Amino acid sequence: MNDVAHVPEVEAEPRAEEALEKAKILLVDDEPKSLFALQELLSQLGQNLMVAQSGEEALRLALKNDFAVILLDVRMPGIDGFETARLVRSRDRSKSTPIIFLTAAADEMTAMFRGYEVGAVDFLMKPVIPEVLKSKVAVFVELFRKSERLRESEDKLRRLAAHLISVREEERAHIAREIHDELGQVLTGIKMEVGQLAKRLTDPALLAKTDSMSKLIDSTVQTVRKIATGLRPEMLDDMGLIAAVAWQAKEFQKRTGIRCRAKLPPEVKFDIDISTAMFRIFQEILTNVARHSRATRVDIELTLGAEQVGLEVTDNGVGIQDDELTARKSLGLLGMQERALLFGGDVRITGTPGHGTRVSVTIPLSSRKPK
Amino acid sequence: MRILIADDHPIVRHGLKQMLAADPSATIVGEATNGDEALALARKLEWDMAIFDFTMPGRSGLDLLGDMKKEFPGRPVLILSMHSEDVHGSRVLRGGAAGYITKDSAPQELATAVRKVANGGKYVSASLAEILASECSSDPQKALHEKLSDREYRVMWLLATGKQISEIAKEMGLSPSTVSTYRTRILRKLGLTSNAALVHYAVRHQLVG
Repeated sequence: MNDVAHVPEVEAEPRAEEALEKAKILLVDDEPKSLFALQELLSQLGQNLMVAQSGEEALRLALKNDFAVILLDVRMPGIDGFETARLVRSRDRSKSTPIIFLTAAADEMTAMFRGYEVGAVDFLMKPVIPEVLKSKVAVFVELFRKSERLRESEDKLRRLAAHLISVREEERAHIAREIHDELGQVLTGIKMEVGQLAKRLTDPALLAKTDSMSKLIDSTVQTVRKIATGLRPEMLDDMGLIAAVAWQAKEFQKRTGIRCRAKLPPEVKFDIDISTAMFRIFQEILTNVARHSRATRVDIELTLGAEQVGLEVTDNGVGIQDDELTARKSLGLLGMQERALLFGGDVRITGTPGHGTRVSVTIPLSSRKPK
Repeated sequence: MRILIADDHPIVRHGLKQMLAADPSATIVGEATNGDEALALARKLEWDMAIFDFTMPGRSGLDLLGDMKKEFPGRPVLILSMHSEDVHGSRVLRGGAAGYITKDSAPQELATAVRKVANGGKYVSASLAEILASECSSDPQKALHEKLSDREYRVMWLLATGKQISEIAKEMGLSPSTVSTYRTRILRKLGLTSNAALVHYAVRHQLVG
């Protein structure tokens, strides 16, 4: 019951930093002489240069590396430059890798159009003007670095969000436990003592006092329970997600007057972190129903398979609009997405105006996030 | 009667001991501070009944109860809990406990529970009995409020929580006269005649909270 959630490490990966320092550039030409010339010229940029003497070799390298830019000779024996570019671009990993074609002056405009079709971003006529080539390549290197940095900061933010979610959950669980167990037990003790005291009293006035003390303790216990359950329902840890969803649905109906119908599998306990994520998403969905939907009914279906746990919540309210879904301030929705994503899950929300909103959540049970 | 008690909180164990001391037939033979210890003591000692806290460090709750029932099927286990009956009560009884009693119960109630369980009976508090009764008669078609439509149900709930017709109209995006029509229909379906009776009905059936 202690390990509520694992805290993902929020650390910059040193290897990513290095890659950021030196961008990889691929030079492809079948003539060793021009390859050598290109290498000489671009070595001044201080990047990681890789060379290939044929289309096949270039493809092999593109399979294993992410290039900032590829300089590609058009005329090569075997697979020519255009075909090489098409193949490079057809792979997901390298589908947006910039390609600069190098062509002999004799090549006509038609070749240029073909080049753009297969994803060229630029053409340079041979013999290349060193300054032009250098500055063009430098632009792509810079672009590559920027998008690397963007990707990295996106990744960091995601990990930070994950970290915050699990820290908050842990803290809530901890406080709930402290309040409920410690405070609650002390109150129980006091109540017992008061009971002992009352047994020895005969004066009705004093008995009335112990009686009111006892009642006061009871209501304090109630408050303690309410606070602790609000922070983290004990059901979740003791009985698991399915029992907790049933309980929450009942509570929701009591609290809002919106009728809840839940279709649940037999009660079993499974991974507590996934259960917690699903439960919090469920709570968020209900909060949205209560706040925005004007619904009078909510249908809940929880399914538990060997591979995944699924939750579908449908209301009969006004239906969420597309612009509400994309609105920047819908942080609650974003929070649900993040929670699900943390475990490789998915949240899908669809609204039909006048006919309610449906939220489908699935979280795979197999692929726990690495610690 | 030899009693085994287990609770991780000294103050609760102390209270229990004091209370049981008032009963000359009761002897506490063992005191455990967590679930694993409780199970070990149960195997080692001679005892007639056990009083266990529901939530303890180590093995606890339904798991511990299950172990106890498997190893000592004939002997009663009374579960003491910080949690209110509606959360765990019926599950604990279904799990084989001889009784479920919350820690905020009056000391006399606890004494009653111990006596009843010691004599081979089952102890169910009044509030737990009510929960069990409503679970048994959970044929949803029987309750009158289940006959209300979803919209009527919500109007009923809003009325029961003291909302005015005009407020309900605004909240649900209906006209006040429509809400009034709903109200009439709800009262008829529930066999009631006034808002006060409706509030009473909702409270009695735990529809508001």
